[in-house]
Amino acid sequence: MASAFDMMRRYGPATFLTKAIIAAIIADVLLLAFIFLRRAYRNRHFVKRDARLMEFRSKWDALLSGQLPYESWRANPFDRRIVEEIALDAFEVAGSDESARLLRFLRASGLIEKRIFEARKHRGWRRHRALVALGRTRAPEGIPALSEGLRDSKVETRNAALRGLGRMGSTEAAEEILTWIAEVGLVVPALPLQNALINCCRERPQILLPYLRHAADPVREVLGRALGEVASPLLGLDLLELVDDRQPEIRAAAARALANTQPGHALEALIELTRDVVWYVRLRAVVALGKLHRPEALPHFVKALTDSNRLVRMRAAEALIDQGADMIPIFRSVVATKDRYGLHGYLAALENAGLRASLEAKLKETNTLPKDEVELLLQVLHSASLPDMPEGPTSVEVAALGSHL
Amino acid sequence: MIHLLNTLNYTLFLYYVACNLIYLVALIVAIKASVAHQRQLEGHRLHWINDSPMAPPITLIAPAHNEELSIRVAIRNLMNLDYPELEIIVVNDGSVDRTLDALKDEFDLYPIRVVRIQEVPSAVVRATYKSRQDPRLWVIDKEAGGSKADAVNAGLNSATSPYVCIVDSDSILERDALLRIMIPVMADPKRVVGVGGIIRVLNGSVIEKGRLQRVRLPRKGIEMIQVVEYLRAFLIGREAWAQGNMMMIISGAFGLFRTDLVRAVGGYRARAIGEDLDLVTRLHRYLLDKGADYQIGFLPDPVCWTEVPSDLRSLGRQRARWQKGLLDTLLSNHDMLFRPRYGRIGFLALPYLWLFELFAPVIEIGGIGTILLAVATGVLNHHFFLQFMILGYAFATMISIGSVLQEEITYKRYNQWQDVVRLVSVCFFEHFPYRQLHMIWRLQGLWQFLRGDMTWKPLNRQGLDSAKVT
Repeated sequence: MASAFDMMRRYGPATFLTKAIIAAIIADVLLLAFIFLRRAYRNRHFVKRDARLMEFRSKWDALLSGQLPYESWRANPFDRRIVEEIALDAFEVAGSDESARLLRFLRASGLIEKRIFEARKHRGWRRHRALVALGRTRAPEGIPALSEGLRDSKVETRNAALRGLGRMGSTEAAEEILTWIAEVGLVVPALPLQNALINCCRERPQILLPYLRHAADPVREVLGRALGEVASPLLGLDLLELVDDRQPEIRAAAARALANTQPGHALEALIELTRDVVWYVRLRAVVALGKLHRPEALPHFVKALTDSNRLVRMRAAEALIDQGADMIPIFRSVVATKDRYGLHGYLAALENAGLRASLEAKLKETNTLPKDEVELLLQVLHSASLPDMPEGPTSVEVAALGSHL
Repeated sequence: MIHLLNTLNYTLFLYYVACNLIYLVALIVAIKASVAHQRQLEGHRLHWINDSPMAPPITLIAPAHNEELSIRVAIRNLMNLDYPELEIIVVNDGSVDRTLDALKDEFDLYPIRVVRIQEVPSAVVRATYKSRQDPRLWVIDKEAGGSKADAVNAGLNSATSPYVCIVDSDSILERDALLRIMIPVMADPKRVVGVGGIIRVLNGSVIEKGRLQRVRLPRKGIEMIQVVEYLRAFLIGREAWAQGNMMMIISGAFGLFRTDLVRAVGGYRARAIGEDLDLVTRLHRYLLDKGADYQIGFLPDPVCWTEVPSDLRSLGRQRARWQKGLLDTLLSNHDMLFRPRYGRIGFLALPYLWLFELFAPVIEIGGIGTILLAVATGVLNHHFFLQFMILGYAFATMISIGSVLQEEITYKRYNQWQDVVRLVSVCFFEHFPYRQLHMIWRLQGLWQFLRGDMTWKPLNRQGLDSAKVT
């Protein structure tokens, strides 16, 4: 029997193919070996890791207090990763006392120092990992390293630093982000930036305002949306100046924010915004107005039912239902608008809330309305279509709705 | 004659080398991308998205046509998904079985009236229902539109979220699938307009209360071969093409899109046979026409488990339909080919689909014929022929094992040793006669399209009973 080499010689011009076959077979064997060896290795790795994890968890208090010497696990990267992961996961759900204890441990054990070092020295994914982990420690001393990450030339690194600062959730971190965007503008995607700002500005939303006043357009929108999320009653009067802003995004954000402020300040401004030229500003205003639960808003919801935008009509209908006011006058006003889209929107919201039967029963029981009008309203309720109605004082009825309730 | 055979053989050889080189490059790119993705995930926690007030709402649209067997489990699964802002719209597309009754019984539906604005065309809606159990669930009962596209369009008209996620109602999503698929969207919502997740084979696995409890390989050989096929198609093919922003297909079983853009392109094309490929191609066209900077991506970790055909007849029908869909889409977008305006889509992605996907069955079946003829007439040396076959076998096996390797180094859903051994062994046996049979089915699809046979031939389904449902 000829050897493989003899065969190769005999094939002559096909040597290329023979070589390719050998290469492909070797690749097959190597891939298979890699799959099985890796699987065996990982099985062992996970068994070992689980055992170590259990061991550390069982000694967690001793570990945090330093009774178990830091040197016993810190030098070993395998152990260090496990301990750090347990600590950072615990941070996510810890209360203030436990957070302080964990932070003390992270400082004393040198884990924060290590992460700061890695966030400055490493490049690529190792740096990204260090930046996010540093943020999760919530240690203020990590902010300068994260700030350097924000000023990196690579967008992935900037994103990681931003996520890290967002996880810090502190005013200092917010100031760092705000200073940076004031310097360089919008050099990261808007949504992660908004998320980071929302996380960091919850305690002191007012720090957003000076930056919002002076920022350029795309950054202003981001700041406005963040403000809309975190606004608190303290901001009331400051928000009113944003109601007339030239940018619809800011007006929409102001509307969103006004829902979280004192109704006295917000009501007039929100009513004004329900007449805005931009649909999403009107939408935000209607939603925010709904959250205030004020009877003065009812005529404006009825008016919004006739809006040209479907979403505004839907939200207005939902708001009308959510107010919990007497349904009969509201239904009369809706019918009086003679707007078929508005009527359908209101009936859909009524049915979604399971209140249709209740309105029908109330209409049948009522004795405050003329009988023929009750008949008409019941007919509209059943058919969901508007009959030919005589012209009545519809606008007056609508306007007076709030004062009647 | 001999000259012709020689020319054909050389052409085939070059085609074969080009095809395999593309696969090899795709494998390398995909492994690199998957490793990078894994590292990126290390800096994420999924609950951050769940807790974020900025997580954009998603409308899940699940079209259902005669899905009586699986609809309960599938919708229960959708209701169990982790995501903060969710709306679920099930579209009963004129089912003639008890799909609607099953939904009414299971989810306590009641009829409601809603105003519907027909932004994209769809057949007449008969009624809309809402669930008393879960206010996020809506069911639209419509007349049969004759296609999944029509049903999805009806859902699109009712969707109120900025993102729509299209899912099959015989599929099961992993609980964190939506959180995972939103990672690239949350990172860059302006650029990312569509994201596809991975589709995996459900047959053989265990489902409990709408959730996948245990992943196992199916028992039947024909189903196992499809496991490797899906791994290869998604973990190598789509992963690699997505790296160049040249994703041409987001599977109809699980894909997320920006609602405004899907509406802007007119929704799904009702007469499209491969509606998923067609939609993504039209999105590319629309965005490139506008000169937009955008990304249509693929992620290998948001997982959708779906039932695959378990008999040859159904599998053949499915593959013939896919091939018809491919030809249909490529023909209707032929003007994108080699037009500078369409950049790499026109110069790389579409030519690849024409040459290595559409014509593959013609070239491969024709190639086998000419090679055998060349061997019989002595034009081709027997030894060379043998070598060529062995190389083809070893190389194709390498690519298949590569897809198993991708699975192993990254997502590792098959935890049992015996499953991996079986998976690897399929890589050695799928090339004969399954591959040839597959090519014949695809050829049939082309033939049916050319004859004008566009009928949708039903597939045998066991419902989610192909997995053990408890």
